[in-house]
Amino acid sequence: MSAQGMPIPNAGRDAAVGWMQNPARLLVEQASYAYSASDRDAPDFTLGPVTFSARQREIVGILGPNASGKSTLLRLLSGEFKPLSGRVELDGKPPSQLPLRERAQRIAMVHQESALMFPLRVWEYVLQGRYPYGRRLRFENEADCLMAENALAQVGAKQLLDRRMDQLSGGEGQRVILARALAQQPLLLLLDEPTQHLDIGGKVELMRRLRRLAEENRYTVVVVTHELNLAAEFFDSIVLVQRGKCLASGKPADVYRRELLEQAFETELDVEMNASGKPRVILRGGAETEAAEGSAEAKTESQ
Amino acid sequence: MRRKQIGGACGVIALLCGASIYAAQNTADAKATPKQQTQQRTKRESEMNTKQMTREVIDETGRHVAVPVNVQRIVTLAPNLAEIVYALGAQDRLVGVSNYSDYPPAAKSKPRVGMQLNPNLEAIIALRPDIVLVTAVNRYETADELARLGIAVYGTDPHTVEDTLESIEHVGGVIGATAQAKSVVANLRQRLNALQSKLTNVPVTRVFFVVGESPLISLGEHTFIADALRYAGAQSVVHAKQDWPQISLEEVVRLNPDYLVFASSGFGGEDSTAKQLAELRSEAGWRELAAVREGRVVVVSDEIDLPAPGLIDAIEKLARRLHPNVFEDAARHARLRQLPVFIPVHAHLQSAVSQHSCREAFACAR
Amino acid sequence: MRPLTPRRIAGICTLLVGVLFIVVVFSLQVGAYPISVRDVAMTLLRGALGHWNNIPSSDRLIVFGLRLPRIALGILVGAALSVSGASFQALLRNPLADPYVLGVSSGAALGAILALVWLPQFPWAMQGLAFLGGLATIAAVYFLGRRKGQLDSTTLLLAGIITASFLSAIIMFLMTTVSGRDLRGMAFWLMGDLETAPAIGLGFLFLVLLIGIGAIYTTSSDLNLILTGEQEARHLGVNVPRVKLVVYVSASLLTGLAVSVSGAIGYVGLLIPHVMRMLFGSDYRVLIPASAIGGAIAVALADTLARTVVAPTELPVGAVTAAIGAPVFIYLLRRRFA
Repeated sequence: MSAQGMPIPNAGRDAAVGWMQNPARLLVEQASYAYSASDRDAPDFTLGPVTFSARQREIVGILGPNASGKSTLLRLLSGEFKPLSGRVELDGKPPSQLPLRERAQRIAMVHQESALMFPLRVWEYVLQGRYPYGRRLRFENEADCLMAENALAQVGAKQLLDRRMDQLSGGEGQRVILARALAQQPLLLLLDEPTQHLDIGGKVELMRRLRRLAEENRYTVVVVTHELNLAAEFFDSIVLVQRGKCLASGKPADVYRRELLEQAFETELDVEMNASGKPRVILRGGAETEAAEGSAEAKTESQ
Repeated sequence: MRRKQIGGACGVIALLCGASIYAAQNTADAKATPKQQTQQRTKRESEMNTKQMTREVIDETGRHVAVPVNVQRIVTLAPNLAEIVYALGAQDRLVGVSNYSDYPPAAKSKPRVGMQLNPNLEAIIALRPDIVLVTAVNRYETADELARLGIAVYGTDPHTVEDTLESIEHVGGVIGATAQAKSVVANLRQRLNALQSKLTNVPVTRVFFVVGESPLISLGEHTFIADALRYAGAQSVVHAKQDWPQISLEEVVRLNPDYLVFASSGFGGEDSTAKQLAELRSEAGWRELAAVREGRVVVVSDEIDLPAPGLIDAIEKLARRLHPNVFEDAARHARLRQLPVFIPVHAHLQSAVSQHSCREAFACAR
Repeated sequence: MRPLTPRRIAGICTLLVGVLFIVVVFSLQVGAYPISVRDVAMTLLRGALGHWNNIPSSDRLIVFGLRLPRIALGILVGAALSVSGASFQALLRNPLADPYVLGVSSGAALGAILALVWLPQFPWAMQGLAFLGGLATIAAVYFLGRRKGQLDSTTLLLAGIITASFLSAIIMFLMTTVSGRDLRGMAFWLMGDLETAPAIGLGFLFLVLLIGIGAIYTTSSDLNLILTGEQEARHLGVNVPRVKLVVYVSASLLTGLAVSVSGAIGYVGLLIPHVMRMLFGSDYRVLIPASAIGGAIAVALADTLARTVVAPTELPVGAVTAAIGAPVFIYLLRRRFA
């Protein structure tokens, strides 16, 4: 009830309060970028303009077919690239203009697992996440160790502390890499196709974990992925790109429209809503349709 | 796992130390007790500390050397220098030689100080030499190091046969054997002159000198051996500025030398002429050569490359083989000669040799 | 979890320095001229206290004139080569990298040959020109090894190997066409030779060594991260291009320094880092100092063996390091550098 006793609609009030408590942390406004083989040639690939924003505790998914510019967008967010036009801001500051160590204190990138040349223990690996803090040549102190253990606990990998990195399974390894990113205590967490080598159980587990981490640690998370349905299920907003163009951005329910998805992925898809109001993408027709189409083609040829 | 690795590493280090200790026993002549060692050292001390009178000379490489007036202990770092010291009759004062100082055979029993290119400096110092003789084959670094440690180093650098004779005189002057040097050199000069007079009107034999067979390497105009060949009335068919040019067999066939001469080391010794000839006759390419077909192949002693008195012997022998018609009595002496292959025989001793079967050529020379 | 602390590093270094000390005393005692350990100690003590006249002059000559300088040079060269090898292994992300893989030793060898041909009578010419040759190679490989303006590991490795081959070809050409008499010293240079005193004072060389190792040591945290991936390191805040440049220049200078005073001693720069990794882990903050001291121990010991095993003949140091290094290498290979 308001002071005058008039009821204020719930949604508006919640939105207003929510906005004040949770301002946009990540702001991408008309950001664009272009690649060219050399300075004189015309750009081989252009991305943008892209616009979206994200707040604390939100997960944004970047979806699109291959070579659509998803990774480029991620690198704009991480500060590796400076946008040619428009702006990218994290808490008001453009990441590309931050000094490297400060950038690493705010933004953490979770990479794919790569083979290590020399054996490393899990705790050594995760401790490396503390590098951005302190001097260049530094020795980790107790606080660092505590944070590293914490990070491992948060990904459910505390028992892996003393194991060697090359002895871990795929899923375990990825959790450790995630832990190292968490040890950076970032504001923004970036992941590039993290579910690639995981089975369905692993994928769901990762998504649940990201959700929980975003909530507990107030991260903003941006995930580049191909998993249409998992994204719809777990993410707060989606950015759909195709051939460098941003087709749509917003809530999954708004972005997952049949025409948009078919245009983006150039294949026939159906969208239906599930019980909790989240969209689900399924193949249209399936195998029988293909067989019918195939025989139709054969008929037209013989005529 | 870590412990095992550290243990293994310690084991390896222990093994290495053990090997080193074994090696140390090899080298140390320290059978004496510590007290005796100190006594020995103090004795050597007083000898070393005696201020030596020196005079300054300029050696053949242009360095200024402070040579002791009284040279009692000589170390040579090249085989030819050892031979020269013996020829000058100073072998009792020779306390150390480089490895492979094999001429004359008596030199084999002298203490070794290591290879020419990297002698063992400690071994040299342990012998307390008054002077160390070096040649251009030794490295500048060795000479510099010895000089830095306060040892007189005299360098010779003979490039021709004439240089060799001068070197013998210089060395004699430096080690205090001037009179012997003069006499030895006079003798050698006389033999060379005798050889020259015999060969005055004889046409020069065209020779292909084989330093190595595969790859086929001969010698250039500026080498020591090329000069020695001239004294033997021969000339190398190869005209090259490089010292050791590689030649193709085709080129040799085209040049068609009168004689093939092989350096004895690597070709089985001087006696192996027959064997060498047989091998060449069986090889394609070589058997095309007129020299091979007619058996004009000579294996010459290594002394042809050694700037020492034995050089003259080698030249004389080579001259005999290359100009058999000039030296008719060569055949007679070959039958009478009973000496081991590697000992060169002074020409003027040949009659004495055939009568006394003297083996120690140098001993007889005195 | 036992994070690396400066105290642990100091402990490891102290242990290694202790081993080095034992090796030095042993080396001072052993040789063609026998001196007992006690006399060695007395000589060192008197020397340290300045009582030069009390030392028998032969001892003084042997210990201070011959053995000590040689051992000191071995320590210098061993430390330089090991740190350089460890650095290149990180820079090129390749466990088979050694100090010579980027061609510095071939450039130095060419400089040495040219010195022998042009200036044979100046003993310091060989070391000086060798160092210049090394420097020129560092610059050339740097410019060849860049991609998009930055040092790229694969391109750098290829550039180094190609440069080394090209320089070797020139060296072979020179060795066959130039008079044989001048080049016999080259054989020893190629195999490693610690007998020749360096042209510049040892003190100055040690200073340069410390500066070089120090420069690399400041990047040791960075190197740890770079070893997990260059992209990963960049996202953790490492200035990867700058680190690569510093490490490349410093490690190449250390190699050039070692090679110009002692020729190309092999296997040390390749194997000591791996051995130290097996013993103490692959954190570069401890690996750099451990490799330095470990390399010093290895070369000092190898040199002592080289001059005593078949006395009076002296083996080249490179022959001893190869004889011991090759089996060690095979052993490590079987354990896959673990």
